[in-house]
Amino acid sequence: MEIFLQQIVNGLAIGSIYALVAIGYTMVYGVMKLINFAHGDLVALAAYVGLTVLMQAFGMHITNLWAIILMFVITALFISLCGVVLERLAYRPLRKAPRLSAVVSALGASLAIENGIMLIWGPNIKVFPSNVFPNMRWHISGVVINSTQIAILLLSVILMLALYIFINKTKIGTAIRATAIDQDAAKLMGINVNGIIIAIFALGSFLGSIGGLFIGIYYRELYFQMGWIYGLNAFIAAIIGGIGNIPGAMLGGMLLGIFNVLIAGYVSNSWSEALTFVLLIIILIIKPTGILGERVAEKV
Amino acid sequence: MKLKNLLWVVVSLVFVFVSSSAFAAGVIKIGVQAPITGSFANEGQGIDNAVKMLVAQQNAKGGLLGKKLEVVTCDDEGTAVGGAICARKLVNNGVVAVIGSYSSTPTESAEPIYARAGVLQTSDATADSLTKHGYWTFFRNSCPNSAEATFTADFLVKDKHFKRIVVLSDYSSYSTDLADATIAALKKIGGNVIYYGKIQAGSQNFTPILTKIKSMNPDVIYFCGYYTDGGLIRAQEVSLGIKAAFVGGDSNDNPEFFKLAGKASNGVYMINVPRPDILPYPLAKEFLKDYQARYHMMPPSIWTLFNADGLRAIMYAIEKTKTTDTKKLAAFLHNLKDFPGITGPITFTKDGERAGSRFMAYEIYNNNQYKVVYKED
Repeated sequence: MEIFLQQIVNGLAIGSIYALVAIGYTMVYGVMKLINFAHGDLVALAAYVGLTVLMQAFGMHITNLWAIILMFVITALFISLCGVVLERLAYRPLRKAPRLSAVVSALGASLAIENGIMLIWGPNIKVFPSNVFPNMRWHISGVVINSTQIAILLLSVILMLALYIFINKTKIGTAIRATAIDQDAAKLMGINVNGIIIAIFALGSFLGSIGGLFIGIYYRELYFQMGWIYGLNAFIAAIIGGIGNIPGAMLGGMLLGIFNVLIAGYVSNSWSEALTFVLLIIILIIKPTGILGERVAEKV
Repeated sequence: MKLKNLLWVVVSLVFVFVSSSAFAAGVIKIGVQAPITGSFANEGQGIDNAVKMLVAQQNAKGGLLGKKLEVVTCDDEGTAVGGAICARKLVNNGVVAVIGSYSSTPTESAEPIYARAGVLQTSDATADSLTKHGYWTFFRNSCPNSAEATFTADFLVKDKHFKRIVVLSDYSSYSTDLADATIAALKKIGGNVIYYGKIQAGSQNFTPILTKIKSMNPDVIYFCGYYTDGGLIRAQEVSLGIKAAFVGGDSNDNPEFFKLAGKASNGVYMINVPRPDILPYPLAKEFLKDYQARYHMMPPSIWTLFNADGLRAIMYAIEKTKTTDTKKLAAFLHNLKDFPGITGPITFTKDGERAGSRFMAYEIYNNNQYKVVYKED
């Protein structure tokens, strides 16, 4: 039993990172019907930028807490900006183009960011310091939980709740939902669609950057291709939950994290990745729109 | 008439171009196939640096056979595909011999291409299979996994008396080879392997498999993959409260391991050939001094020195046989005996294996200090 609970704890930590990253995919897809393949690489970029900021901050003789806050704030702002620039450079010129062109552009942007990271920070791995969060461990009837896991889980849940409220209760949120349903009609209602698209790229990249920082803090090893593996998993999470649906991405991320650890723990570690795709296929067969995805009427 | 003249001019021009490129062989080309980028970039760059340095030193002495040596480097990114692409590039470039690659996967994919083209290849890669194909062009300049496997088994069972052993590897040919060989060696001397698992290199999250391992109450976890994963596995092992000792195979032995594992580095056992700075040979001291003077850093690891020895053996063969005919060079190398090397005397067996090298077990203390805890006889 304690092994099972330990696996669930492991799964929730990685799952909340997937969820944060998945939201970026799902928001962009919801509004633009575009799969932003460069999102995973922005997540990797966030981890690198975060490490650089943290190192500078540690050198400035401020307390650790302030250094961490500085790292989160500067990285999140910078990556949000990157998301907006990405949209402006790689996607807006192709908005009226066939969807395939935009996907190719997304893959190109992904490679550009990945190799940009390699050119700036070098091809060797980088290591996050181990004392970002105070290193505490609790043993609760055989289950080990550490402070980083709790911080990741708490912060993710808070951020996701905030996003949910933002989307459902504010005026901009309403505008985002309207744009997602029908861009032309939204335009006729006086909504600035370009502004909304900028907002979703900024928001998605913001949450992704927090995910990237968590990866750095929790696993501590950064390498320039890491965006791909997290991007792929988060993308699967977004589809499982129902792409285009924000609570779906959160649920999908958590489910994927738990599914992964249970397969690795009880079936075979070697099979966990393959069976993830089997799960994806099964869900797509039973419910093509994903768990929380809504039935979309085909436009004629 | 005019046309005929023009034709002559063209023909002679073509002849000049062709002959100049063919006889511009005033140089002997040495290839480097190494991961200049990718996860093992610092190792690859170390090999490249070492080869360039030795070649520069040789050229300063007047080169070989009255010709200058020239280095051609190709980045294989540590992948099988990259290895095959590099092999074709280097063969087309007309190299006599290739140094590298660092890991077994790209070395193995390049082997048949060099063998068909008759280009000598010397690598530090340790997969046993590399010398099993019977290619006359391949020379291993380090020692194979099976030697490490026997040593590891002795250390775990005869020295440490571990009763419940877990073996972990990744999916690379080097790692699975070493794991299989170690398990076989353990069984031979009565070791009790309770679990053998594989991890996906680079996946970072090893807690699921470690939690599973925790429930088996092992005495020791032996991991024979690379440091980029090993450091994280050790860190996550300790943070999950697993008490088992951690023994790392040779590719864990890298400064990055200690950065990744942090405080959890203490008490880790590493199994490797001697570190560069504790090699007793004068040649090693000279090499390290030159390397530091030229690049202002130490070589990334012992593997740089093994490859340097591979190159030195080949240069020695060219010098002695007075030819760049690779058949003759290979025949000479297959009979090479006790040629003084940076990493000890170099002797090649008939199948291109380097005979007789020594492993040691180290314990890590103070986060990154080494203490020799076990060596054979």
